[in-house]
Amino acid sequence: MFEIPDDKKYLESHEWTTTDGDTVRVGISDFAQDELGDVVFVELPTEGDELAAGDEFGVVESIKAVSDLYAPISGTVVAVNEDLFDAPELVNDDPYGDGWMLELEPADESEFDDLLSPEEYREQTE
Amino acid sequence: MTAGNGRRVGSPYAPHTDADEAAMLDAIGVDSVEDLFDIPADVRFDDEFGIDSTDERELRQSLADLFARNEELTEFLGRGHHAHYVPALVDDLSRRSEFLTSYTQYQPEIAQGFLQVLFEYQSMLVELTGLPVANCSMYDAATALAEAALLANRLRRGASGHRVLVPEHLHEGRLGVLENYLDGADMEIGEYPMDDGAVDVDALSDLVDDETVMVYAESPTVRGVIEERLADIGDIAHENDALFCLGSDVVALSLLQEPASVGADVVVGEAGALGIGSAYGMGLGIFATREEYLRQVPGRLVGVSEDSEDMRAFTLTLQTREQHIRKERATSNICTNQAWVALRTAMHIAWLGPDRLVGIAKDAVTEARALAQRLDDLSGVKAPVHDRHHFREFVVYTDQPAPAITNDLAGRGFAVHALDDHHIQVCITEANADAADEFVAAFEEVA
Amino acid sequence: MNFDQARFSRDDVYEPLLSEKDSTTVEVDADGVLPDDLTRDELTLPALSEPQLARHYTRLSQMNYSVELGPYPLGSCTMKYNPSFTEDVAGDPRAAVHPDRSDRTVQGTLGLLHGLQEYLADIGGMDAVTLQPPAGAAGEFTGILIAKAYHEARDDDRSEIIIPASAHGTNFASAAMAGYDVVELPSDEDGRVDIEALDAAISEETAALMLTNPNTLGLFERDIVEIADMVHEAGGLLYYDGANFNALLGRARPGDMGFDIMHYNVHKTFATPHGGGGPGAGPVGVVDELAEYLPSPMVRETAAGYEQYEPESSIGKVHGFAGNWLVLVKAYAYIARLGDEGLADASAKAVLNANYLASQIDLDVPYGPFHHEFAATSGDRDAADVAKRMLDYGVHPPTTKWPELVPEAMLTEPTEVEDKASLDDLAHAFNAAYADSDEALETAPSKTSARRIDQVSAARNPRLSWQSLGDEE
Repeated sequence: MFEIPDDKKYLESHEWTTTDGDTVRVGISDFAQDELGDVVFVELPTEGDELAAGDEFGVVESIKAVSDLYAPISGTVVAVNEDLFDAPELVNDDPYGDGWMLELEPADESEFDDLLSPEEYREQTE
Repeated sequence: MTAGNGRRVGSPYAPHTDADEAAMLDAIGVDSVEDLFDIPADVRFDDEFGIDSTDERELRQSLADLFARNEELTEFLGRGHHAHYVPALVDDLSRRSEFLTSYTQYQPEIAQGFLQVLFEYQSMLVELTGLPVANCSMYDAATALAEAALLANRLRRGASGHRVLVPEHLHEGRLGVLENYLDGADMEIGEYPMDDGAVDVDALSDLVDDETVMVYAESPTVRGVIEERLADIGDIAHENDALFCLGSDVVALSLLQEPASVGADVVVGEAGALGIGSAYGMGLGIFATREEYLRQVPGRLVGVSEDSEDMRAFTLTLQTREQHIRKERATSNICTNQAWVALRTAMHIAWLGPDRLVGIAKDAVTEARALAQRLDDLSGVKAPVHDRHHFREFVVYTDQPAPAITNDLAGRGFAVHALDDHHIQVCITEANADAADEFVAAFEEVA
Repeated sequence: MNFDQARFSRDDVYEPLLSEKDSTTVEVDADGVLPDDLTRDELTLPALSEPQLARHYTRLSQMNYSVELGPYPLGSCTMKYNPSFTEDVAGDPRAAVHPDRSDRTVQGTLGLLHGLQEYLADIGGMDAVTLQPPAGAAGEFTGILIAKAYHEARDDDRSEIIIPASAHGTNFASAAMAGYDVVELPSDEDGRVDIEALDAAISEETAALMLTNPNTLGLFERDIVEIADMVHEAGGLLYYDGANFNALLGRARPGDMGFDIMHYNVHKTFATPHGGGGPGAGPVGVVDELAEYLPSPMVRETAAGYEQYEPESSIGKVHGFAGNWLVLVKAYAYIARLGDEGLADASAKAVLNANYLASQIDLDVPYGPFHHEFAATSGDRDAADVAKRMLDYGVHPPTTKWPELVPEAMLTEPTEVEDKASLDDLAHAFNAAYADSDEALETAPSKTSARRIDQVSAARNPRLSWQSLGDEE
């Protein structure tokens, strides 16, 4: 059983995002990190990049697989988790915590409504 | 092998006895091997190729006879394919079946030997180029150059242009391969002029713009000229946010300016000059680059890790760049590469050691200079055409038609390459240097 | 069979690196040879004697598995025995010539190339063959460029290449490199091309369909004639990936099935050694209508002898020179050694061996009837772990976890060179590993030179040269 916190919203492509505050965090789900296996590399955008919902913003790699990362909502990148460059294993160890990937300043809060609820995402992973 | 007795003759390398075959068919539960083929009748091939099997002795003789139709000429040929003396050690050890008949090292625990040799090869290229990442082979210099251009284009995705600038003097094979590789990426090739055999730096500077993703220069050039302004070329590329790709070869790298020191972002070129000698153009492509482009490198990389007993061990790594994982988004389609040639080249470099490697590189300069001088002394001949330092080879001007001279030299036992009506290219290494006196004498007779 | 791979070690390393045996820095003193600013300052490389090197490389060779040590049943890789005499033939000093030699002076070289062009055309049912592509993937790329040139010559702008999901990764990468969008085709429930899905995928955008036949499950595409018609009717071309051609020699030819373009993996089908990953050669055959687009130069025979020529609408070059010459010589020698009957027998025994081996293993083989290779499944056991355990039995394991159509796939291709006893050993290794405990599988191998290697550490912290090892700690 994978952890799917109730305080987040999700994409079918397994990214999560928080929904409150001036900035929101984005990462990949517990399910996704398990599917990938040991993460060895994460490529992230740079601060200031503008993303539209659904844009590829980076790449996460394990030994045998590579996945593109998609922006759950539109916004401006205000921070990236630089710890991941030296310690990509944080994505495995703590996908919703220290394994976060970037922080966005949302452009349009209504886009949260288009994302999957924890229940909907749970159904998808089962 | 005879089929005269009516018995069907099979592959000499399929070891089945009749009894084994019968037992195997029985175990499978079919009556004959033919029953195992699920090929519709309308596409079955019921004819013959008409290829007679030949026994090993006869075949070796007939192939020896065939190759005897190659005229025995002493070659003074270069232009991207160079022959140096290959020591017996290389032939002997590279042909050990453990190396020769192994596959790509997808099970590293059982393939440490080859992986270590490839790791050592990568390390030698790191030393020679000064760049921290070298892959474990491309097919040849031409495809390595093309891959470098594709890498440059990936890095500049979204940039306004996709142009690669190459020198006016570029081997036709390299240009042709580059054209084919760039076509699919909607890239274009621009040519910058040469000034007396070397890069016309001012003209290059005028041509580079923000549409340029890579500037390619060679040292030595296809005409053997040692480029004197590499750092300036690198600066011009970098001022325009383009990559600087330097083409060279494994021997020249041991003597000439270290590529990293002149700002090269990628080094490509030929490494087969050590390891295989004259092989009708078969080569080994060098590919080395900066750490920051690691994830964009084409081809295989060998890295270090540890095994479960905490011993250092080698393995193919960063394979998510490659086609078997990333498919259409891979950095390249390359799978089978030139691993065994890389093994031979590494052995050859190790056999030479740093002293002798630098030594043959120096010889390539002094021998070329001396030979050019001797040819220049002949009437109706000017050599070298370009007033530059040369490495191994140089262009000769002849008053007499060059194709006729080339023909006449062949009649006297020497092969050279006619570039056009009045220019011949001549290449010298330790592999043909002993014949230089006779070559000059022959040249005097025909020029 | 008991097996212990040779293992030289010292402290925490196996055979030390050349750089650990010696590291010598020489000052590159140009001493009048060249101006100082044109030369490097110094060069650091090992300086070892020939006996030291001989021992270094011999020890390393002993820490490397090969076809001459035992079975190497990697699916779609065709690791067959490489006849010794072909090395000697390729090593003939009179064959060691430069590509700039004039045609007249290298009639032997051109004669061999011409002969191989003809052999391969006959064997594949093609009309013309280029030998220039230096590997299978290079052959694919060449073939797709030919298809592109053909369509462009007809002012027919097409943007897509259709490729089955189960195809080799190179197909996708080669098509993309040539600038095409890839349309991935699902398999039907029998593991073959899904005709309905193909029908839906084909359009006026279809430049070509790339197929491997038998496919990567070893299954013959029975509907190949219908498939060819569908592609041709839409104006597309049919491309044959020759990786599995060892199944069909003398029994079926791609040209007769309706393929327009094919590549041959001579390092697979025609027994040239894989050399630890290369060199190979990937000649490309085409039907008459496409011959004008082949790379330059080609070799033809005239009254005056062999000569090189440029096809009328040639795509140009795909290798700086003429491809991997030494490999081509070995392929020619192999074909000439076997002849019609030997080639047909090679395929017969390759298919017999695959079927016999499959009958002797306890793993399920979900798809059939297969030919020279089969995809077994290790079910609830991790295929990669089973493979590691197989190493301890002195055999090389199959290709694992591919094709993805089969869960925990073990794609197995024993080739024709194994005899029954060797196949029985291989089956024993399969069965023993498959039945072993979880712990044994996870800790395997233990008989190889190195024990289980940490792939994650290698990728998280790339150390790609001996220079990089000094940076640690």
